[in-house]
Amino acid sequence: MSKNTKPTRRSFLKGSALLAVPLAAAAPAAVIAEDQLKARLARLEDEAAIRDLHQTWLRGVNARAADTVRPLFADPKSTRLDQTVRTVAADHAGQPDTIEVSADSESAAGQFPCTVEIETAIPQDCTLARMAHAQGSGFVRRIERRVLKVEYVKASGAWAIAKVEFAPV
Amino acid sequence: MTGTPYPKEQMHRIAYTKLSEEQIASKLSTVGLGGPASASPLSNAFAGESVRIVTDKGPTLAYTFGPTNRLSVTVNNGGAVEAGYGALTLSSVTLLSHIIPGTQRGYAVVIDRDTSLATVIELWFSGYPDNREVQREIYYGYIEQPGQPAPKNRQRTTNRVEGKGFYWKQDTGAETLEFYPSAAYSHFVELSRLGGELGFCGPSDYIQINDDLYIYTRTECEFSGTFTTYVMDLNRIEQIGMRLGFDANDALEYYVFRGKGEWLGQLAHFEKFGDETGAPVPAAAAGETPAKGARRVYRPLKTMPKMSEAEVDAVCAKKTTAFAPASGPGASMAGNLGPSTGWLAGKTLTLRYDNAPAMEYRFDDAETLQWRKEGDGSWTKARYQAWESMPGVILFGHLLEGTPNHDGHSVVADFHQGLVTCFNGYLNTPYFANEAGVRTLFGVIEMEGLIPPKYNRHYFTDEMVGRAVSQNYAPGLTSMHLYSTPHSLSWIIFTNSDAGGLEWSGPAAYVKIRDGLYFLYWLEEACNGTLGTILVNLHTMRDVGVGYHCGEAGLSMSAVGAHERLAGRFDIVRFYQVKTSGRTL
Repeated sequence: MSKNTKPTRRSFLKGSALLAVPLAAAAPAAVIAEDQLKARLARLEDEAAIRDLHQTWLRGVNARAADTVRPLFADPKSTRLDQTVRTVAADHAGQPDTIEVSADSESAAGQFPCTVEIETAIPQDCTLARMAHAQGSGFVRRIERRVLKVEYVKASGAWAIAKVEFAPV
Repeated sequence: MTGTPYPKEQMHRIAYTKLSEEQIASKLSTVGLGGPASASPLSNAFAGESVRIVTDKGPTLAYTFGPTNRLSVTVNNGGAVEAGYGALTLSSVTLLSHIIPGTQRGYAVVIDRDTSLATVIELWFSGYPDNREVQREIYYGYIEQPGQPAPKNRQRTTNRVEGKGFYWKQDTGAETLEFYPSAAYSHFVELSRLGGELGFCGPSDYIQINDDLYIYTRTECEFSGTFTTYVMDLNRIEQIGMRLGFDANDALEYYVFRGKGEWLGQLAHFEKFGDETGAPVPAAAAGETPAKGARRVYRPLKTMPKMSEAEVDAVCAKKTTAFAPASGPGASMAGNLGPSTGWLAGKTLTLRYDNAPAMEYRFDDAETLQWRKEGDGSWTKARYQAWESMPGVILFGHLLEGTPNHDGHSVVADFHQGLVTCFNGYLNTPYFANEAGVRTLFGVIEMEGLIPPKYNRHYFTDEMVGRAVSQNYAPGLTSMHLYSTPHSLSWIIFTNSDAGGLEWSGPAAYVKIRDGLYFLYWLEEACNGTLGTILVNLHTMRDVGVGYHCGEAGLSMSAVGAHERLAGRFDIVRFYQVKTSGRTL
C-alpha cells in the first residue's frame, strides 16, 4: 500500500491550526496530529480502493462479464446479480456517493445513486410472445433511479464486496 | 367448366417429401451444365467478358462468359468449372444464376454496371435437416478493376422496402401479390398457382442497390423450401429474378424470370425516423457467431404439440380455464384490455342462430352465466367476461364444457340492432385434434323488450381486406395484422427497434358489425392451433376479444385487448373479386 499522498486543503488547514496552539502542548499535539494524519490517510486509501472496486464491478456488470465480477466478491456465491439488471450507470443528478469505513477499517458501506436498466422477459404464454422471443426480443426494458447499497469487507488486506442491493430512491 | 384454381391442399397442409441428398443431386444433375430455364430471352450482357467479383468476408468469383449461356467460374482461385447460366438485365443491373455442376450449390449474382458493385447470393441444398430447404448466404462486393482501388460503397441491407406491396406477373404467367410488411420476412399470395385464397410467409432479405432498385429474397421455409430472389425497380415496377427449389410434386423449379407489376400501396414504418437499417432480426443469439447461412426462422409446426382426440379429451378433463387471472394462459395478450361490462348481469336472452341451435342464456352476474341449447332440459354454468366495444355492442365469450368437441363461443351481440354473430371454436379437427376449427354463426337476439329484424344480419365483408393495423397488447408485445386476403391474415412481430420482424399467417374471416366495427377471427393452423377472435373498433382504435387454445397445458379461453394504430392499406380487393373468386362479397 502506498504511503505517498498529496496534502489536501483540509490537511493544510488542520496543520495551520496545530501551529496556533501553545508551544507547551506542541510535542504531544504533534504526535496526535501524526496519528490523525495516518488514520485519515488510511481512510482515504480505503475509500479510494473501494471506489476502484466499485468501478471495476460496474464495468463487469455492464459488460455482463461474470469472470470479471466473481473475484470481486468475498463469497463467490454472492456474485449472482439480479438477472433483470442489464446496465448500471452513475446518477449524477442524485445525491453524492458516500463511503463509510468502519472504525476498525475491516468493513465499509457504500451508497451510490444510480440509474438501472431493468429487463423483464415477457412470459411465453401466447404465439406473439413466443415469436418475439424467437427473434431475440421478448423483453421489456425500463430505466429506474435506484440507490446502490453495497457492503464491503476487508479480506487479507484487500477490499471485497459482501453484499449488493438496489434500493428505491 | 374449367374447374377451380384451388389446390387439393394449401401449402401449410402439404406433406412435402423429405428428399434425400441423393435425390436432390439427381434432380440437379442436368441444370449444372444446362443452366436455368427462362421464358424470356436471356441477356448476353457479359458475353465474351471476364469478370472477377471480390466479396467482403466471402468468396472471390472469377467468371469468363462464353458467347451463349455458358460460363467458366473459379471460386477462390480454385479450379475452373464450366457451367450453364441464365442472365437477365434490368437497367444497369444484371442478375445471373448458375449451379456448380456435380454439386448441390449454386449462385445468384447481381451486378450493377454503373457502380461495379455486386451482391453474391450463395445457395445450397442439404444444409438443414429438411434437405429440400434452400439455404442462402449473402456476400457484398465489387467487380475488381485492374489497377483501381476497391470501392468503399457496397449494396447493403435496408428497411427501405418495408411496408411496400406489389402485384407481380411473371413471364411464366405466375401471378402473385407480394407484401413486405417486415424488414426480415415477407408475405405472398399465390393468385394463379393456388387461387389466392390464403397468404403465406417466408424469411426474406432486402438489399438496396440504389434508390430505385432493390434485391429481394424469400425462402419458403416450413413449406417447399423453394428460394426466390429478384431485383425490382420500384418506379418502373419491373423485376428480374430467379427461382430454385422443388414443388409439391418434387419437380425441380430452376428458372430465371422477368415480371411486371402494379404498386399496391405503402404501409407506415414504426422505426425511429432516420433508422434505415435492414436485417433487424439478428441471425444468432447475442454473443454468438452465426453459422454460414444462419437466420431466425419461425418454425411453428416444429414446436406445436400434436395431440390425438383422446389426448385432447384427457387434457380438457384435467384442466380447462376460462379467463384465468393475470398470470394465466395468454395473459400477455390482455395487457391493454379495456374495462369489462356487467351489463348482461341479471338478463335472460336467447341467441337464435340461422345455422346452428339457438343458445339460451341466464346471466347470473358479471362473470357467471348459464347456457343451454334450445330444447335441452338442464343448464350449464360457465365463467364469462364481456366488454362493450361500442355503445350497445357487447362481446362476450365462454366455454361450452361437456360438448363433444370442447366448444367455445366468442359472441358479438348488437343490442341496438338485435343482431348477433358467434365464432364457434371447436377441437377434434382433422389434422391435429388440438388445433382449433371455427364456424361462423349469424343470428338475432331474442329478449324482453327487443324486437329483432327478420332478414337483416351481420355479414362477411371485404372492407378490412388490404388494411394493416398494429396492436400493442402490452409493453414489449406489439404486432401488426395485415388483412391480405378475404380469407387469411398475416401477423408481424415488431423487434425492439420497432422494425417488422418475424411473420406468420393463417386462415381468417371478417364480419362487419357496424361502420368502423369489425369482428374477425384467425386460425393459427399448423402453428399453435389457437383461434383468435377480436372486435376491431376503428373509431377508438382499440380491440377486444378472446383467444381459444388447447395444448398440453389444457384448454383455455383468455381475454385479448390491444391499443391499435392504422398502418395503411393496400389496394387489393379488386384482385380477389376479379382474379380469384369472381364474386362480390
